[in-house]
Amino acid sequence: MNPFDELTQHLTGWIRWRRVRRGLTWGLRGLTLGLLLALLWGMAGLRQGWFVAWEFTAFVILLTLAVTLVTGLGAALWPLPRLQSARDFDRAFHLRERISTALELRRNPGLAPDDLRQRQLEDALAAARTVNPRRNLPLKIRPLEALLPLVLILLTIVGYAQSARYFQAAQQARDVQNAIQEQVETIEELLQKVENNSSLTEEQKKTLSAPLQQALNDLKQNPGLESSVSTLVSTGEKLQALTDPQAAQTIQALQQAGSNLAGQQGSPLQSVGEQLANGNPIAAASQLANTDVSQLSPEQTAQMAEQLQQLAQAVASSNPQLAQQLNQAAQALQNGDPAAAQQALNQAAQSMAQTGQAQAMNQAAAQAAGQMQQGAGQVIAAGGGQNAAQAGAGSSQANSGQGAGSGTGTGDNPNAQSGEAGTSPIPQNNQPGDGGETSYEQIYAPSLLGGEGGPQVGLNSGSGEQGEVIGQGPTTPGSEGQSLVPYTEVLGRYEEINRRAIENGQIPFEFTQIIRSYFDALKP
Amino acid sequence: MTEISIEQFRQTAAKIETEVGKVIVGQGEVVRHVLVSILAGGHVLLEGVPGLGKTMLIRTLGQALDLKFSRIQFTPDLMPADILGTEILSDEDGRREFRFRPGPIFANLVLADEINRATPKTQSALLEAMQEGSVTVAQKTYRLEQPFFVLATQNPLEMEGTYPLPEAQLDRFFFKVNVTMPAVDEMVEILERTTGKETAAAGRAAGGAEIAQMRALARAVPVASHVKEYIARLMLATHPEDENASPLVKKYVRYGVSPRGGQALMLGAKVTALLEGRYNVAFEDVHAVAPAALRHRLLLNFDGLAEGVKPDDVIGELLKLMPS
Repeated sequence: MNPFDELTQHLTGWIRWRRVRRGLTWGLRGLTLGLLLALLWGMAGLRQGWFVAWEFTAFVILLTLAVTLVTGLGAALWPLPRLQSARDFDRAFHLRERISTALELRRNPGLAPDDLRQRQLEDALAAARTVNPRRNLPLKIRPLEALLPLVLILLTIVGYAQSARYFQAAQQARDVQNAIQEQVETIEELLQKVENNSSLTEEQKKTLSAPLQQALNDLKQNPGLESSVSTLVSTGEKLQALTDPQAAQTIQALQQAGSNLAGQQGSPLQSVGEQLANGNPIAAASQLANTDVSQLSPEQTAQMAEQLQQLAQAVASSNPQLAQQLNQAAQALQNGDPAAAQQALNQAAQSMAQTGQAQAMNQAAAQAAGQMQQGAGQVIAAGGGQNAAQAGAGSSQANSGQGAGSGTGTGDNPNAQSGEAGTSPIPQNNQPGDGGETSYEQIYAPSLLGGEGGPQVGLNSGSGEQGEVIGQGPTTPGSEGQSLVPYTEVLGRYEEINRRAIENGQIPFEFTQIIRSYFDALKP
Repeated sequence: MTEISIEQFRQTAAKIETEVGKVIVGQGEVVRHVLVSILAGGHVLLEGVPGLGKTMLIRTLGQALDLKFSRIQFTPDLMPADILGTEILSDEDGRREFRFRPGPIFANLVLADEINRATPKTQSALLEAMQEGSVTVAQKTYRLEQPFFVLATQNPLEMEGTYPLPEAQLDRFFFKVNVTMPAVDEMVEILERTTGKETAAAGRAAGGAEIAQMRALARAVPVASHVKEYIARLMLATHPEDENASPLVKKYVRYGVSPRGGQALMLGAKVTALLEGRYNVAFEDVHAVAPAALRHRLLLNFDGLAEGVKPDDVIGELLKLMPS
């Protein structure tokens, strides 16, 4: 082999070893740096609620690996000019500038005569052959550099072990955000359903969409726990307010009456009765309007007048206007005035259709309100207040008188699913399980001073088995009825305790609004 | 050009040292520096107290090198003509004419003994000879035979009746070599050799032609660019105003080394590399010759002189601090 090629081969080998050495040395320093960065950044992130446990672990590992790899590979692949490396090796291997001179002579042959150049090259090669790079340039790791990563790893482990509450808080925040996002999607679906609901008029769609759209915007703009819950609850209340209880009663009455009419075979209003019995008042109204009273026989006219009176009687309490129109039509039929009867029938049909539309809106609004209430409960539950959420949702149901909440509804809407809003009111004296709340659990239990398991304090047994008498209460019993305390007095006292607890920070922040709402609801 | 190999170079150099060593006991570094200076084609100033063998060393070297040797004992009344030569009236065949009679400077190896005893006028008579290798007398210039070396000695103790060499002349000396007292065992050897029946004598080791070839080979030795740069930085760092100047230089040096100092460093390092069996100059070679090449070119200021700072201390610190 050409002497210079052999020399170059040696030099290449040395450079390779130098790269390995630099890579390992700087990789170790990168490990230290990575661990330090991961520790500082990770701990800062923990306090900002960026990480749950596995994310923190992954972050520390990935950042450490990344910095280690970058520094290690960066150092290993850092450009090493050949001539500069040769000079460094001359120094490191005590080659007395032989290699660097040989390289320079190769690049610039005019620096020395040919024979001298050749001899210098051979001399450099002979010296290069004696070099063992691993022995002459061993891989040295300073004890401090080896110790630092271990210390940082220990610190990271300790930091991880001490950060359970941060992980929990981060997880809660994450759950809350997910729950809010779910509610956003739910509201978007509700808006789509309202838009596609053919039973609703354009005005009703607009009326229903307005609070939903507002809630959507509020959730997107201010996706915090309290504001989201507040938005959902208030939206549910707004939607609830849009329902018309009278329409529901009218429909119920029409259904019952319709069942009777459907059973009267061959009667003029049999088909109307069937539609009413099927809960389809709009179709029934259409058929009623299409009934041509002039074509009826006298018997049929009399039968129809009677049926109209039955219908009027059924809705008299819930929808007097409809009842009156039906009575007018029956009266006109009995009086033999088909034109007036037809006119009255048309008016009654219109009222019935309006009732049907109001009922459709009722259903949509109640369903949306139920979704809002349920959503509020889910958001609160995600924030760690599951029980309070259920209690809050149940309370809201009880106040509004509707079957909304996460419990089993008792509504009679066949389309309503478990947990969705029912259409029938729940009595004011409902019990847990009737509407939303299923059970009661403590959410705040004051602990004894010093906690449990503290020193047992007992009274000195001074005399006899009964113990020492240290005081004596009043012996005269109170008069009957004196033990009762006025409701407002008790409520005021508890409100004061509650206010102080909130101000002192004893109550978790996310529950304060719920507790305030609870006390507001208790006010007479 | 390089008619001799490095092996021959080393053998010849070793032979010279061996022959000198037959007469001169110890003083290995002094001999080495004188040899380096001769092989680099430079003149040497040896400084030391009387009786250390300075004159003996140079006489022995003259024997070993088989060169035309002459000795000039410098005294205050020595005149330039006593060194250079003079024109005398000649009467040959009835024709009278002035003929040049060469002085003792016309030799290959000139021993200028106790050079600082002569007046500056006489000292300066050596200037042209040392730098140009020629002598001008009565408007005629005579070339000196090569190789031509001036090996001067001076006594640092006797200040009375001496004339310190001017800086310009000092700069013309390739090396200034300090001759120190021998060690005990060396002293014993000296006593044995000089008080016995027989007196040792050096044999011929090399001639003028070989010396010329060795000088040619030494000049051809390659120097890596970073070593050259190091020499330049080192030289410049002897100037107190240079940014790389060491604290001692800044405090105690009045003037730094001239470019001749750099040349001496480089050439001396080349010869040293060859003597060490290498074909290239290493930093160690530069370090080996740096004190001898720089010490007489470094002019200390008043503080330095007052505090007894030695140029070697300044150079030592520079070598320690200057990154290679």
